[in-house]
Amino acid sequence: MSDSGLEGLAAARLWAATKFPYLATGVFGAQVIAERGSGAVSVDESWRMHADPELTAAWTPAQLGSVLVHHVCHLLRTHGERARATGVGPDEARTWVRAADAEINDDLVPAGLDLPGRPVLPRDLRAADGLLAEQYFEASRASARKGKGGWGAENTDRSGEAEGDEAAGGWVDCGSGADGMPRPGQGPGGLPGWQADLLRHQVALDVAAQGKLPGTVPAGLLRWAQQVLSPKVNWRILLKAELRRAVAEVAGAVDYSYRRPSRRSAVAGQVVLPALRRPVPEVAVVCDTSGSMTADLLALVLAEVEGLLRTLGLARQVRILACDTAVGPAQRVSSARQVQLIGGGGTDMRAGIAAAAALRPRPAVTVVLTDGYTPWPAEQPKGMRVVVGLIGPRAREAPPWARAVRVEAD
Amino acid sequence: MSPNNPAVEALGVAVAARVPVLLWGAPGTGKTSAIRAMAQIMGLPCETVIASIREPSDFAGLPIVVGDEVRFAPPAWARRLAEAGHGLLFLDELSTAPPAVQAALLRVVLERAVGDLMLPDAVAVVAAANPPELAADGWDLSAPLANRLCHLAWETDPRSVADGLAGGWAAPVVPLLPDGWQAEEILSRGLVAAFLRVRPALACAPPSDAASAGRGWPSPRTWEMAARLMAAAGASGTSEEARSALVRGAVGDGAGLEFLAWLIEMDLPDPEQVLADPASFRLPERGDRAYAALAAIAAAVAADPTPERWTAGWQVLGLAADAAPDVAAVAARVLAKCRPEGAALPAEIHRFAPLLRAAGLLQA
Repeated sequence: MSDSGLEGLAAARLWAATKFPYLATGVFGAQVIAERGSGAVSVDESWRMHADPELTAAWTPAQLGSVLVHHVCHLLRTHGERARATGVGPDEARTWVRAADAEINDDLVPAGLDLPGRPVLPRDLRAADGLLAEQYFEASRASARKGKGGWGAENTDRSGEAEGDEAAGGWVDCGSGADGMPRPGQGPGGLPGWQADLLRHQVALDVAAQGKLPGTVPAGLLRWAQQVLSPKVNWRILLKAELRRAVAEVAGAVDYSYRRPSRRSAVAGQVVLPALRRPVPEVAVVCDTSGSMTADLLALVLAEVEGLLRTLGLARQVRILACDTAVGPAQRVSSARQVQLIGGGGTDMRAGIAAAAALRPRPAVTVVLTDGYTPWPAEQPKGMRVVVGLIGPRAREAPPWARAVRVEAD
Repeated sequence: MSPNNPAVEALGVAVAARVPVLLWGAPGTGKTSAIRAMAQIMGLPCETVIASIREPSDFAGLPIVVGDEVRFAPPAWARRLAEAGHGLLFLDELSTAPPAVQAALLRVVLERAVGDLMLPDAVAVVAAANPPELAADGWDLSAPLANRLCHLAWETDPRSVADGLAGGWAAPVVPLLPDGWQAEEILSRGLVAAFLRVRPALACAPPSDAASAGRGWPSPRTWEMAARLMAAAGASGTSEEARSALVRGAVGDGAGLEFLAWLIEMDLPDPEQVLADPASFRLPERGDRAYAALAAIAAAVAADPTPERWTAGWQVLGLAADAAPDVAAVAARVLAKCRPEGAALPAEIHRFAPLLRAAGLLQA
């Protein structure tokens, strides 16, 4: 291993690998470089840690080990990449790093992480445990806006100065691995991106394997591993893809017709060639309006459906039905905002789908937006494709003949 | 666009190996120009066909009546490629092609058959597409078409855009594969086969949702493609990063990652061999691999702790203790817990005591 002489590093890593055996691969996978005079322990996105030996000399092996684990978690949770995706600017990097710290610390500190100084915890950001860095970031941004402003406005220098009562140890700058801002002097080398992916995958496997024994792995870390091993795709992408496919399959059921001569007739001499004819499908949307639905989420989904249909050039074909135990009249709307959700109480989607099938012209694609607490028709309605958006975290299963997408608030 | 962009390097290997390849990227990021420049440098004729404005009959052949039979006549671009005997067929805007056209493309992409005409084997098929989220009128690629292509993500790095604007765009270099590179394919097929024996579920795993159907997914055909690409990458001395992009592009990210991780694991020393001959042990360079190797050896001893194996395990740890004392100490803790009856305390055990004490894991 090409580590430089950082005193106590071996003991610190040993402590970390023993205390958090499921993170050992990550702890040993990171390269530690002594950087005299930097005054911080920071990490870059190529899995290199830059540590100031003068700073770390005062720490116990447990403390240095905890900082290593903490930084490895920044890398495992791809905080740099996520900071860029969230659009964190240089003036907000500080706020982001605190949010990222909270995401790591909220379940590792209870599990025995022994960071020097006082670690950032969700309650410092006036937020609940178990959230994502993006959510902590949003929360602390909001409180900074109405509050005193304070640390949100500071710049990201690498001096790691104390911050009074907000201080979270003397190593506050976690480096580009935590906030995605390139630092001078962190040149090429280290782990290339694809190897970092592999390492992350391996740690996720270790965590998931250890997590099979109850009570050994913090729940937040286990959730992270499950997300890495079977990533959950954003429902917007899934819903749009399902809808596009349903429309494509109906519209793509192209038929040959002699009503219009083929473009190719000129070359075919005496033979009359058919032209391709593409039907424009009618689309119906059936909304569950029972009391158990989440109105905000429903509006969000409707807006997505509407946006997609507009790009497909089908916006005018859409009719929207509101359904609980009975079905309201079909509304032809030009915007999701015009949808009126009437009704409440229980739902019977059999009535809703039957009403959609009874519309003339008959819809070829029906989008059902529901929380799933409803009886369903026993089989797929004839000649109609059904895409179900299951709304809310507790939504039940859709029938097997329909294509279903789970929609959860994000 | 810069030569160190792994997608560019991977594209060159896929073209050299004649594996159909598809570049995914936002509109206007230079996919088309890179492919054209590549063809020009190689001196290959390049036929650009924009799939979205074509009809199915342009790929399946135009029916014409000749005497008593109907022939499917190929369009001029296919004839030109067939006459040249080699070249690049560039299918642009693949994701905006309607499903019927995508269906007609199936045979073109894999078998290079256009109507009744077979394109020569030396014709390489390259396609480009915009992700459906980015193209206003995009369709997801159908799963059968997606399964015939190696998918590469075309990412633009702002720095290479700046360089390209100032000094002209660098074209991908197609590596020259040495004669007989196919011999390596047997080896890489063997690796893939060995992996699929361990993970049979990944031999064929069609995607379940519509969004991932349009990307690479594992099937016997794509595994074969991956083996071919790996052989070509090995023969041309391609960077590991590009090789990883090719494998993941062929069989999809999930299966590709598992396969690459398995390959790395294959590189680790076999615990049983090491225990039989501890002196032969070489500690892997990287910390995480050293940890994987020593943990595997310690686990092998713990599974069957005879005095000889236990002593051999300590000898291995003694060899590793200088270069990676902390990694070896983690394994030492495992060994210490499974001391068999009658085994003498090895000398190596004392080397770890100071470190264990420093980490607070050993009472003084």
